[in-house]
Amino acid sequence: MAKGILYIILLALLVPDALSQPVKQQPSVYNVKRMPFNVPGFNNISPVIVKDGIIFCSDKRYSGIEDVTGFDGRRLYNIYRAEKDSSGYRKPHAIKTNRSNKFNNGPLCIAHDGRTVYFTSEVETGKAAENKNYKNHSGIFTAELSGSELISIKPFKYNDPLYDMGQPSVSKDGKYLFFASDMPGGMGGADLYYCEWVDGSWSAPVNLGNKVNSPQSENYPYIHPSGKLYFTSNRPGGVGNLDVYYTIRNNGKWEEPILLPEPINSKADDFAFVAQDNLQKGYFSSNRTREDDIYEFTSNIIRKSSCDTLQENNYCYRFFEENAMKYDSMPFRYEWRFGDGTKGIGRVVEHCFSGPGTYIVQLDVVNLVTKEVNYNEKSETVVVTAIEQAYISGPDSIGVNQRINLSADQTNLPGWEITQYYWNFDDETIALGNNVDKSYLKPGTYNIQLIISAKPEPGGSAREACISKNIIVFRQP
Amino acid sequence: MKLEKSLYKTVLLVSLLVLPLSARLSAQPVPGRDENIPFLVTFGKDGKTSWGDNDFYQVFFFSILKDYNKPIYIRVFDPDCGGEWDEIQGEFDSKTKFSVYGGKGVDPDKNEESRGLLKGLNYKSGNLLGSKIFGNEAKYDNKYFTFGPFNPSEGDFNAKWNSYMFKIVCEGISGDDGNLYKYFLSSDPDNNIPIEGANAFTYAYHFRMWNDFKSVAHIYPYIDTGVVYIRQRNFDWDNDGTILVVSRYKQGIPVPISNEDDWAQSNIPIEAQEVKSSLDFQFHKRQDELVKNNNVVITLENQRGDAVKFFSSPIGGVPVYQPKLGYEKVKPKK
Repeated sequence: MAKGILYIILLALLVPDALSQPVKQQPSVYNVKRMPFNVPGFNNISPVIVKDGIIFCSDKRYSGIEDVTGFDGRRLYNIYRAEKDSSGYRKPHAIKTNRSNKFNNGPLCIAHDGRTVYFTSEVETGKAAENKNYKNHSGIFTAELSGSELISIKPFKYNDPLYDMGQPSVSKDGKYLFFASDMPGGMGGADLYYCEWVDGSWSAPVNLGNKVNSPQSENYPYIHPSGKLYFTSNRPGGVGNLDVYYTIRNNGKWEEPILLPEPINSKADDFAFVAQDNLQKGYFSSNRTREDDIYEFTSNIIRKSSCDTLQENNYCYRFFEENAMKYDSMPFRYEWRFGDGTKGIGRVVEHCFSGPGTYIVQLDVVNLVTKEVNYNEKSETVVVTAIEQAYISGPDSIGVNQRINLSADQTNLPGWEITQYYWNFDDETIALGNNVDKSYLKPGTYNIQLIISAKPEPGGSAREACISKNIIVFRQP
Repeated sequence: MKLEKSLYKTVLLVSLLVLPLSARLSAQPVPGRDENIPFLVTFGKDGKTSWGDNDFYQVFFFSILKDYNKPIYIRVFDPDCGGEWDEIQGEFDSKTKFSVYGGKGVDPDKNEESRGLLKGLNYKSGNLLGSKIFGNEAKYDNKYFTFGPFNPSEGDFNAKWNSYMFKIVCEGISGDDGNLYKYFLSSDPDNNIPIEGANAFTYAYHFRMWNDFKSVAHIYPYIDTGVVYIRQRNFDWDNDGTILVVSRYKQGIPVPISNEDDWAQSNIPIEAQEVKSSLDFQFHKRQDELVKNNNVVITLENQRGDAVKFFSSPIGGVPVYQPKLGYEKVKPKK
């Protein structure tokens, strides 16, 4: 059954132990391209996906030949919007603030309402900031996006003139704000933190812990709607310099970060990753061609942004004699025959059928006073059905490198003429077939997606079903 | 007032629709055919209550539909106390008086004292239409004695039931023997010919249990509108087996039974669906040891303390339990 399975392993490319394996020659599932709106000679970083294009940060000039510089003489980053229409991206235009000519603006993120902006800028805006030797630390600010302007700017309550905070990313539900900071008490360099929106204000920053943060620096957090937290780190073990990783929180704990494959990561700096909901397309920054530029990636791995969670089939029932339930002591014995060769005794019995089917459940009642038995006093036809869904059969947890079989054979999609079983194992690998073998190289929690395609109904469109199931991969002792 | 109106409508409906049906099915032997009770029993007033009669008299009522206008007869089987059937204590020296009443004061709905539930009250109310005292008399042993003819209109008219009511009182006026007897309401003085639409009922049933393990006796109280629960009281059951209360919705609720010369009581909840139908009180004999010549008494009242009628022909027919099988999905046990 496993024959004919197309199996792509890309994660192996990222793991030193697997470097010598031939699978590392597999083509990448990602394509990247430099965006046309990058201005040569300047840095373009930290893309944000918006409805009509990309908002990003750049230290380019507004116009002419004169750079816009801060009090320390360095070029200032400002916010730009590159709108896209049917002919492509138009020339980016600035989104200005009342700080635009004196201070950095960005990186930033935009809340789900499309108007509230969290952005990075300097904390000190008074006289002290004008001293070129003054170390002006960055902080987070909120503002309202109004046309091509950020208005009503307010500082984040935890900004501090003694350390940096910035690169905010707010979760889709608005409950969590992630950011990077070198505040005291971290693991080294910049660390990632989050604040939780509780009772109308942001809670104190919480360090994401030593699985996410390392003695090196972690920056550019981006919380994806799927719950994956992408970030950048210069920790050892990457492809080179800054690399993009992701982690996910399970049962309150952040899991060991996964390095994104090449060509998203490269030997150069790769950072500030963002992606569409379905992860099929996204953007990141990289200096692989000298300046920091924005790149687009597209994935040929199918991963659905909306995929039902597998529901376990339940064939368990409670049977009862309704009138008998009302009284505690009745001189009767209730004997049930479940129609599958098994029996139960009691006013109330529970029975789990082995699978779908039509079962005739019969009730025999023994009168304990007269000793008479009323055979088949009452019977009921119980039709037990499986949930109509694609189905993933497989273990809930496995060890690293443990080979398992995953099966779609219990799929219950009546009337579907299935043409393809597509497995996305959530580690940048896929497989085709109704029965597939799989092993994971790193511990973590993986969300497996099974995408089933079927021939269209007469006169209808092609049918597709997606089901997902988490599998925990643990490090074996 | 509303309750009374509702009761009236209910009873009228029952009398028009149900009673004729039950009459066609079973007629008016007392005990009724479905009751499967061998005999009624009344002891001489000098008897001991521990022999199974708490008050030494028994009151029964007969109802005859207003439209019936032919003579009626109340026949008593084995009215004497001696010979076959009856229960001797030393020697047969008891006298039993049977009295038939009609006219005003008989109707137990209008005159609660007529029900005969409390000794000392005037349960002999009404016009005495006939009376006879029986001793140990072979000529009546194992035979019928007939009271009547009576014109139905000599009864006490009950508008709710659209019927004339007659009452027969059996008293153990002397001696200590147990008189075992039966009644039959007949349209013929010499034969048991049922009267269409007639019925019989009592409020306190004194009867003889079977002398075998297998036979099951029944009584059929009628549950009227507004009843939420009934309180059963049984006397001198001698721990003889099990009483089960059965209906379409009760497979068999056991109730506590009395011991020697003793009362036992309990409340039985009534479901809304059981209103306007009869319950089936089943009397199952003890199976490990045969209790012989067991005479017992049972009464019922509703939550308001009103006595509940036992009809010889169950109104609405004999209730048969209807099992109700249900099922629902549950989470599998880990």
